[in-house]
Amino acid sequence: MQNTTQPAPAAKPAPPPKPVPPPEFREGDIATMDVASLIAIVKDPGATDFHKAKACQRLGEHGSKEAVLALAPLLANERLNTYARHGLETVEDPSADDALLAAMAKLHGDRKIGVINSLGKRRAEKAVPALARLIYGGDLNSACAAASALGHIGRLAAAKELQAALGKSRGAVRTAVADGSLVCAERLLADGKREQALAIYTQLAVPSSPKPVRLAAMQSIIREETSLERPR
Amino acid sequence: MTTRRQILQSAIAPMIVPSVVLGRRAGAVAPSDKIVFGGIGIGSRGSHDLSKILKFKDQARFVAICDVRNERRETIKSTVDQTYGDHGCQMYDDQFALLARPDIDAVLIATGDRWHTPLSIIAAQHGKDVYCEKPCSMTMEESWALADAFRRYNRIYQAGCQRRNGANFEFCKNLLNTGALGKLQTLYANVGPSVDWPPIPSRDWLAEEALPPKQVLDWDRWLGPAPWRPYHSSYVRGGWRNFYDFHGGGILEWGSHTVDLCQWAAGYDDTQPVEYEPVGTNVGPYQVHCRYADGVRLVMRDNGWNGALKTGSCSFRIEGDLGWVETGDASIIEASDSIKPLIRPTEEARMALDNHMLDLMHAIRIRQQPKASAAAAANSHVVCHAAFIAYQRGKTLSWDPARREFTNDEIANRMRSRAMREPWRV
Repeated sequence: MQNTTQPAPAAKPAPPPKPVPPPEFREGDIATMDVASLIAIVKDPGATDFHKAKACQRLGEHGSKEAVLALAPLLANERLNTYARHGLETVEDPSADDALLAAMAKLHGDRKIGVINSLGKRRAEKAVPALARLIYGGDLNSACAAASALGHIGRLAAAKELQAALGKSRGAVRTAVADGSLVCAERLLADGKREQALAIYTQLAVPSSPKPVRLAAMQSIIREETSLERPR
Repeated sequence: MTTRRQILQSAIAPMIVPSVVLGRRAGAVAPSDKIVFGGIGIGSRGSHDLSKILKFKDQARFVAICDVRNERRETIKSTVDQTYGDHGCQMYDDQFALLARPDIDAVLIATGDRWHTPLSIIAAQHGKDVYCEKPCSMTMEESWALADAFRRYNRIYQAGCQRRNGANFEFCKNLLNTGALGKLQTLYANVGPSVDWPPIPSRDWLAEEALPPKQVLDWDRWLGPAPWRPYHSSYVRGGWRNFYDFHGGGILEWGSHTVDLCQWAAGYDDTQPVEYEPVGTNVGPYQVHCRYADGVRLVMRDNGWNGALKTGSCSFRIEGDLGWVETGDASIIEASDSIKPLIRPTEEARMALDNHMLDLMHAIRIRQQPKASAAAAANSHVVCHAAFIAYQRGKTLSWDPARREFTNDEIANRMRSRAMREPWRV
């Protein structure tokens, strides 16, 4: 039985109230706007970063090619680059690749790397020559991003560039080229280009490859060569 | 054209297939040696995971912590050093420096959700095995990239879905698998209370606060792959949840446990439902009704913290045509009258995390994937993402698991991925 003389347990201190977004940082009507209205926000020089960011995110859901010209200038914006790429990555129209390629030629640092990553994600085959040049361009981070993007593009042209770069690159770039080559080989396998994929694995399964890559390549060779579905 | 014979001659024959390729650990460490762990982003939940690594001293040693917050680094170092009675835990603010250490076999990743997939993949590229907290991914695309990377590099991955190693959960699974419940009809996954985690998180921002010095908090690294927004201290204190750029709402927060349990119990680790119907609003109890191709139903439902039958948090229920069974973190197993005679006491649910960590350590030694592998976790997370997208779209969505696409909504297909903030990628 509870001793009634005991003091009542102390009440737990109330947790601090959750902060509430201020009116200027609420998405509001942007969530349900049509494409034309969203583009108008993105193009409006008086719109805030917040409103432009939200409009870009919603444009990414619409995937409209009409948004490409409005989104492209934001690729150079330090705060809005990601949002602009989100808007562009889902546009099926090749004009999105053109916008990203044009930006890649002008941008530097992380903004450039973001654009390279988006080109890889879109598997933009027309970007292969420009990406290949970046591997040898002297900027370490761009070179690594370009190697990764080529891997994701994963077509024969990309494979050719990666295979050439394996023999010419060193250090972190070589590791990125090797990682990209593994991804590229998987894409080729998925496209039915088994011999070309196996050629990449063979090139990677050498002692000079980074250990995780070498083991991955050897395992892939064994898997493919012992697969019941392999050509006989 | 390279022939198969040339490949075999050039790649495999000279190397005689080293044992590492056939499933042994890459670090050339004898199986009897301790597994060396590092940790990245360890807060409250991660500390619980870490306590299990520290508990099994005979099997593992924790040697390094990386965090963007100075206070967190020092707290974890203090805990680890006190446990071992030395000063051996090294602190890092750069994950690449920690991952470059050749002596580290595995990493515990318990950052915010936005970092889970990219960090796990980077760790795999560095030859590390991984224990990663859930939700394991922010998007479907990340889920697939995660599974691909761990298959590609043949690394071991254990998702923080520890109930796969909980005795009461396994007991219920076995009732289904042995036929006691009859033919499977419906699975129920508690997706947590919408009052705490509504199904659709906010896309708003909090007001900007003054940024602390970088040595106290590196905001750029804290944001990581999430899109830029102004700093607010609430995010860093755990208030990042319920914001769309950081969080997948209740469906990902708790479905990553309970939908995962349903997928595992039913043997659906390689497939997903083909239909997702959202029911309810964003402010009250909600459900998502799903249907598999074989006709089995999956119901994600908000039944509060402890479930309708008070079986505890993270509860799930299996209904067959001969009876039903339900359990959760309270270790109680509720069942239909037809099944009650079969119920036996089990080990308490709180032991699941111990078992789960031991499962990982065993998996690392024998080089076989543990119960919550990257492939299995990716699969159940895709189910959660599909339901999350259906809820946002406010309509019933049809899903093709083989083609990995919605068949009746193009906007939903565009929501399968998000752009990552530069320079991060998966």
